[in-house]
Amino acid sequence: MRKIINKPEAMVDEMLEGILAAHSDQLACAQDDLRCIITSRPKPGKVALATGGGSGHLPLFLGYVGDGLLDGCSVGSVFQSPGADQMFAVTKAIDQGAGVLYIFGNYGGDVMNFDMAAEMADMEGIRVEQVIGTDDVASGVRGQEAKRRGVAGIFFVYKVAGACAAAGGSLEEVKAVAEKANRQARTMGVALSPCTIPEAGRPTFEIAEGGMEIGMGIHGEPGIRKGELREADAIVDEMLDPILEDLPFQGGDEVAVLVNGLGSTPREELYVMYRRVHDVLAARKIGVYHVYAGEFATSMEMAGASISLLKLDDELKNYLSQPASTPFFSQPQLGK
Amino acid sequence: MARITAEELRAIFAALSEIMEENKQYLVALDSAVGDGDLGLTMSQGFRSAAEFVDSMDETDVGIILARAGMTIASKAPSTMGTLMGTGFMKGGRAVQGRDFLGLDELTGFLEAFLEGIMERGRCRPGEKTVVDALQPALEALKAAGGQGLPLTEALDRAYEAAAAGLEKTKDMVAQHGRPAYYGEGSRGKEDPGAAVGVFLIKGLRQGLSA
Repeated sequence: MRKIINKPEAMVDEMLEGILAAHSDQLACAQDDLRCIITSRPKPGKVALATGGGSGHLPLFLGYVGDGLLDGCSVGSVFQSPGADQMFAVTKAIDQGAGVLYIFGNYGGDVMNFDMAAEMADMEGIRVEQVIGTDDVASGVRGQEAKRRGVAGIFFVYKVAGACAAAGGSLEEVKAVAEKANRQARTMGVALSPCTIPEAGRPTFEIAEGGMEIGMGIHGEPGIRKGELREADAIVDEMLDPILEDLPFQGGDEVAVLVNGLGSTPREELYVMYRRVHDVLAARKIGVYHVYAGEFATSMEMAGASISLLKLDDELKNYLSQPASTPFFSQPQLGK
Repeated sequence: MARITAEELRAIFAALSEIMEENKQYLVALDSAVGDGDLGLTMSQGFRSAAEFVDSMDETDVGIILARAGMTIASKAPSTMGTLMGTGFMKGGRAVQGRDFLGLDELTGFLEAFLEGIMERGRCRPGEKTVVDALQPALEALKAAGGQGLPLTEALDRAYEAAAAGLEKTKDMVAQHGRPAYYGEGSRGKEDPGAAVGVFLIKGLRQGLSA
């Protein structure tokens, strides 16, 4: 293990201390609990958005707390769900009286704990709704989308829901927009090397040297095909085909593209990948409205990438185009 | 007439915390025979956290106290049993929300919702060698005691006896859930660790009430 850390068991809290020290103008924590990150600039009357999940994925999850995006995030240990009590503490801290929408990825522990937090919130008179991210095409067959895991495509859900809430949308409206984005987002990943949970000290799963695994999850969940590393264009084709067939994305559609690095794959390679994505979409007469390329949902130092597409309509396009600003992500108003 | 207010709940959670701590090794031993052996540790940790939390809470609604305690257990004892206990307290608390105290009827309602919550979350039913096999007889005993107009303390004495008898019967059952199920017939002859926690739960409820 080669990591710049102090004690492995202190990594998450020390990371949070660093983040709060660096970005105290934008972020704070609720109830003196470092693991309950909230915006320090709440908007009165706005529907509040919360997420949560394990550490090891920055900028997912807490990196999307900020203007035009989310209001709070509960933070778990590396690859572990946060506690229901932390989710509830965040809920209480960010509620502005208009209700709270939970948006989180489809992982057993998170689902259960957010359920509990929602129930507790309901008992205390806070309205809560939830939308569960299920964009990973590799993790479940068509027709059983609800069983799929949530990965990088959840960024699109955050983005449009955040803009809808910022524009004054009601809890029901924000939820509907988030659900639509989740329904119209698809992601596929490829992993080239594993990652190490600090407290474990060595990789908890393996990828053969010179190999790759198509469809591997962001915690090393098994993918759909293992094989030798191929050229970028061939990898992109293998990732993109199942995405395009799944929704399906068709000629005349307009999409937003997210090419996401998993941790140690450089942007150079992401743009080599995007080049191919661009050509394939053009050949299929699918219009590209906007491209995000960089690290949006990582798996510590894992090498690899994911490609996500979001099928747009006027409503999603409008919300996607709105400006947003957090310590980890910012975008100006996009053009038409 | 004994009843359970926020004050008794503090005593009950203190008793539960103490019982789980005293029986940590017993639970570890039971669980090691058929599971991963961490039950004693997670239960003592979970109930200690719940006791501290309940003690610090400035709340008179017993339903909210019970539900928040459940959330604390689920968070501080991340394990199957911690989740089930947490779910039980949350569902049970929800069933008695808005009250300042529990009498026998309300406690029965609490335990019924507690049990339903566990059966739903754990997808388990009576006779499958789980905590349900201790709590179901305890619930029946509370209901019977209510029918006879017995006081709360005596009802809980009977519920405790019924739970203990239920635990004994789990020795004759074959595990259907979780790691113990891998042992199949090999799980026969041993009492279920989860059911033992169920007995401790009723014991703690009784101990928190004076006389």
